[in-house]
Amino acid sequence: MNAMWTNFVTSVDKALNAAFLAPPFLWLLSLIPIIILLYFLKLRRTPVVISSTLLWMKSLQDITANAPFQRLRRNLLLLLQILVLLLAVLALARPFVKAEGSAGRNLCLLVDRSASMKTNENGRPRMDLAKQEALRIVDEMQRGDKVMLVSFADKADVLCELTDDRPRLRAAIEDIQPTDTQTKVRDAYFVAYSLQLTTRDLHSVIISDGDISDLDEIVPRNFGPVRQVSEQSTEARARFYDLSFVKVGSSVKNAGIVVFSLREPSEGTTGDRQVLVLVHNADTEPLSTTVTLSFEDTTLAVEEVSVEPGQDAELVFRLPEIGEGILKAELDHQDDFPTDNVAWLSLHPAAKIRTLVVAEPTATGTYFLQRVLTPDPRVELSTIAPASYSNSDDYDLTIFYGFAPEQLPAGTLLFINTLPKLEGLGSESAIEGPPILSLDAEHPLLRFNVNPSNVSIRSAMKVVLPDWARPVVSTTSGALIGDISRGAQHMAFIGFDIAESDWPLNLSFPLFFQNVLAWTTRAALSADVSIPAGKPLTLVGEPDVANATITLPDASKEQVALDPMRPVYFSNTNQIGIYTVAYGERKERFAVNLLDKVESSIGPSDKLAIGQGEFEAERGRIRQNRELWRYLLAGALCVIALEWWLFSRRAWM
Amino acid sequence: MSENVTAETLLDAEFLRKLERLAISARKVQLGLAKGERKSKRKGSSVEFADYRDYVQGDDLRHVDWNIYGRLNALYLKLFQESEDLTVHLLIDASRSMAYGTPSKIGFATRLAAAIGYVGLIGYDRVSAEAFSQSGTSRLIPCRGKAKARLLLSFLASITPEGATHLAQSTHTYVLRNRAKGVAVLFSDLMDPDGFEPCLRKLQQSGSDCYVVHVLSPDEIDPPIVGDLRLVDSETGEFIEISSSPMLLKRYKDNLTGFCEAVRKFCLARGIGYIFAPSDTSFERLTLEVMRRGGLFR
Repeated sequence: MNAMWTNFVTSVDKALNAAFLAPPFLWLLSLIPIIILLYFLKLRRTPVVISSTLLWMKSLQDITANAPFQRLRRNLLLLLQILVLLLAVLALARPFVKAEGSAGRNLCLLVDRSASMKTNENGRPRMDLAKQEALRIVDEMQRGDKVMLVSFADKADVLCELTDDRPRLRAAIEDIQPTDTQTKVRDAYFVAYSLQLTTRDLHSVIISDGDISDLDEIVPRNFGPVRQVSEQSTEARARFYDLSFVKVGSSVKNAGIVVFSLREPSEGTTGDRQVLVLVHNADTEPLSTTVTLSFEDTTLAVEEVSVEPGQDAELVFRLPEIGEGILKAELDHQDDFPTDNVAWLSLHPAAKIRTLVVAEPTATGTYFLQRVLTPDPRVELSTIAPASYSNSDDYDLTIFYGFAPEQLPAGTLLFINTLPKLEGLGSESAIEGPPILSLDAEHPLLRFNVNPSNVSIRSAMKVVLPDWARPVVSTTSGALIGDISRGAQHMAFIGFDIAESDWPLNLSFPLFFQNVLAWTTRAALSADVSIPAGKPLTLVGEPDVANATITLPDASKEQVALDPMRPVYFSNTNQIGIYTVAYGERKERFAVNLLDKVESSIGPSDKLAIGQGEFEAERGRIRQNRELWRYLLAGALCVIALEWWLFSRRAWM
Repeated sequence: MSENVTAETLLDAEFLRKLERLAISARKVQLGLAKGERKSKRKGSSVEFADYRDYVQGDDLRHVDWNIYGRLNALYLKLFQESEDLTVHLLIDASRSMAYGTPSKIGFATRLAAAIGYVGLIGYDRVSAEAFSQSGTSRLIPCRGKAKARLLLSFLASITPEGATHLAQSTHTYVLRNRAKGVAVLFSDLMDPDGFEPCLRKLQQSGSDCYVVHVLSPDEIDPPIVGDLRLVDSETGEFIEISSSPMLLKRYKDNLTGFCEAVRKFCLARGIGYIFAPSDTSFERLTLEVMRRGGLFR
């Protein structure tokens, strides 16, 4: 019995959720009996004396065979009042139907322009199909409709805010150009979602092939209260986000390179470097072709590859000592999506990290520093005494040991047993034998589990940290090691003399300095041999060069102003290929690749699972939630008017 | 009584003159109590010859027709039509419900009764009147002659409606008390919870020549009822609650028509004269035309 009741409640709940946006308001229907009660209570009958009620009684008996219902039937006003309440409650519960067309609605069009939209669909790029769909929606706009246009690839761009200016929308749609980047819908979705919070009746339409790499990252908990989704039907969830998915494209004919990377020989061995190429076959047919590896237009190797549909094949090439240049892998295959058939790596020797230690050459600490820095092949180490130090921006890393200059140089700075003159930073007194109490394990300087907690320190400065600084290693009364980076310039201090502690004998000491080296901008730069399309290039200027000229893969050129104090980012990397950056005489080349398996799988999806909603691709015209509360409210008003009219001429009654 | 009726205002002089041309007609020949202006079933000593019969011993010799004895040598008695008086019973329902309506039913009924009574008095008929009400009956002892007209009018003007109707009971009592047969006229709205039939039956059983004047007010015939009302019975104080609607009104009128028709048929079947008298009908017309046509006047 209990189970039956539960089943009944569940099915009623489902039915209500499928028809109303706010079913809890239906509880207000319980007001109807109250109205009836009030009606009977408020009814004040005028007493009229008549000669005899004999005939009236007989007449009444004739009519009122079943009195209460008859009475209700005759009480038109009461019925109308109940009808008004019914309509108002239904309007509050926001019933909706899925309907075509979009009159009076606000639409947010999210148009995919990722790499896969370049896919050739019977001679036309897939992008054209998407534009066609978008234009069709704009053409179907009705009076009062407004459309917001957002295009998205790895980032979202708002092309038109909510507007009813059709020519502008059409022009903006025509202007959308596909990029070579991944599809990330997250930003675009948040744009639409935030608009949905402030705009009534917003309906979002995603026009895409559905090959989106970050669908899992859209989690509703990021934007507002989580509804009890697990118990809701798919329709209910879809309804919550009122969104339609318009699928474009049909081609699946593609194979592409999805991984192209360099493997350095492991430490201590003398083997060659290796290059890994992973080929993915997204087609329904098996693929048999060749991969050509070339270096600066010289073919190094050609290898055959066979891949089953939907499978990957891995090719490993041994790379001879070839020095600096561009390594290119090419899949010798014609398909509908050529963008992923080629990939590049920019090979360059690891950049030298120019390091200056400002310290008395005879100090014990200087010895430890040289011991830990000299063996690293990346480090170009210079040592200078504080007395002969003059400000120089030539160094990537400057270590001040017991000495702080008046003016701070560029590059990454480390202060040992001294503090730079920065606002709010100072030391009060010394602490004897400070124990190490807490570590900020998340900090880049403590990567690889650097843990100096068993180090003994004779005495340390009692450092007062300003709000913007971040303690890295702390003792009872403050930071022993702190991050005092300002803007893009990395700075840190060690608040004690390393020679007055046993830290240099501890394993954490060389690891810590490895991290300091990795923290420098130069180190970050030299790591990238391949950059995903859409990610910015990091440009580190030469001291005397004000501008860098960047030559894009399509041979167009852009000028970027450099800043000697900090790296500059160049973000227009939507094309794949080789970007050449000229800093005056010196040139640097960056390889920008797509290398994305989701993007290479060009076959369109029939379904989008965004957040907790699952959206089927629309067939035919877009169907969207059309709310009915306006009509109900208008009906309620009409009934009120009718009731008033009847009330004012009660003689008719 | 709702209207301020006095003996003087009950009937005006002009109307009285018109009434003097009328006489009450009894459809049956009744046995009267005293010698009067009416033919009697008895043969007696009036001037109107009726028949002869053989002389039997003991007959009054003064009535022997000596002319026939001279010719036929046989004794015949000459018979004359006896003339007697007629008793007009005016029975007025004075229950509370009769006070209702504009003009009031009791006012209308008493004026009618006055007219009939006056015609009776000037016709040298015995006229008796009685008002039925809950507190008991008030009555006018039978009287004769135009000189008693003032007495009759004063009595009628003094009738005040009160209490509930018990028509059958009142009629029964009246019939038992007044054995004299004649013409009985009942003025009532016949709105008796026990039904009008027992009352009319009693009336008929009295042997008199019976008439019913059914008095209804215009408010009863076409009630001006609007809205949600509590209808209070003027006699019993009972009430019913109605919300007026076209359907209810139609049903009421149908019932009223049915009620009147039932009374009319009941009367027709029993030889009772039925006169339907809405209280707003022209009094003169009703008296001079309708009643004459109904057979009450000649």
